[in-house]
Amino acid sequence: MAVPLQPATPTVARTDGRRLRSERTRQAIIEAYLALAEERSPHAPTAAEIAGRAGCSVRSIFERFSDILALQVAATDHAMNEIVALAQTHGRDGDRLTRITAQVGMRARTCERWLRLWRSLIVNQGQSDELKQRVLQSRQRAVARLDMMLVPELSTLDDREHRQLLIVLEALTDVESWGRMREFFGLSFDEACELWVQAIDRLLPSSRPIL
Amino acid sequence: MNAPVAPKSARVDGRRQRSERTRQAIMDAYIALLRERPQIPTAAQIAVRAGVSTRSIFERFDDLQTLSLATVDYAFAIGESQVVARNVDGDRQTRLRSHVETRARTCEQWLPLWRVVVNNASRLDELDVRIRIVREVVSRRIELMYAPELGSVDADKRRDLLVALEILTDFESWGRMREVNGLSFEEACRVWVDTIDRLLPATPRDGHGS
Repeated sequence: MAVPLQPATPTVARTDGRRLRSERTRQAIIEAYLALAEERSPHAPTAAEIAGRAGCSVRSIFERFSDILALQVAATDHAMNEIVALAQTHGRDGDRLTRITAQVGMRARTCERWLRLWRSLIVNQGQSDELKQRVLQSRQRAVARLDMMLVPELSTLDDREHRQLLIVLEALTDVESWGRMREFFGLSFDEACELWVQAIDRLLPSSRPIL
Repeated sequence: MNAPVAPKSARVDGRRQRSERTRQAIMDAYIALLRERPQIPTAAQIAVRAGVSTRSIFERFDDLQTLSLATVDYAFAIGESQVVARNVDGDRQTRLRSHVETRARTCEQWLPLWRVVVNNASRLDELDVRIRIVREVVSRRIELMYAPELGSVDADKRRDLLVALEILTDFESWGRMREVNGLSFEEACRVWVDTIDRLLPATPRDGHGS
């Protein structure tokens, strides 16, 4: 008696399954890179270490990324997308202190979470234009957020003063500035936040009355 | 007639002096290369720039790491000699300008070396120690220059102000104003003067007010 044939899996379904598995492996590689980069910050992990952590072969990494730099760029994008997704804009319509406190809280949590990875990025950006571009974009986003949260104060300034104050506020609330407050000066999370709130309040001009 | 022979001690001193000059030339070459490219140079590159043989380098330094540390110490010593505190007893505006200009010149000159030191601190504990020393020197200078204002607030407020001022006048803060934001030396100094002025409390009447 002839054995009945198993119903053949349609080609499309087989391809989708492969694509899905490949995507999952890609994701696992990126997450392994981020975890290792954070643990060993500022030293970048090797391909063998990443493969070991992701549970795949080194070859699997280079089937998905042309080189380690391409993986670094993809991992940086992944981390930055996560930061953007978590960024809240609550408090933006509040009074001066509410807005400053909301801005500081958000920025402090981001810095606390990403400090080690940021250091790894800064140290390992080397001559890579792509990584340098990511560092620049991250700073531009931080400036845009300051600009949005502090509109009632910054809008009272002329263009030159506005630009200069943003430069100062960005330097004050830089990721590495947070790291120095916490590690070098030994401030607690709350003390560091309070310092930022006080300094920003002192640097800002009077608020424009909200109509 | 034979030429007079230099006494033995004079010959030894001369050799020692030449050796010391070569040592300095090696460290100057190291610093010059860092200013051109912010990466630790190779022994061969340093030798070419200093006009000596690679062997000359390793006769004076055990290895590249020893040379790196010696160069950092040499640079810090030069840096410190350039930042003599001036106008400590001046009025507020004079002290602001004097402090900012001195700090700005230091940042302008030493930023490339500072970046390499910071980027390699995790590999070498001795570099981390030097970073701490430099930051403590910077903080002490802030305390000295703004003693009248800082002395007028309580300990917590004083600490917070010192931290904020140290962060704002950091090497990288200067580097970003100059490289990313394209400010001229004078514009960047102006930003720092205005910022410190806004952050500091009022100068007490008996404290060199403007």
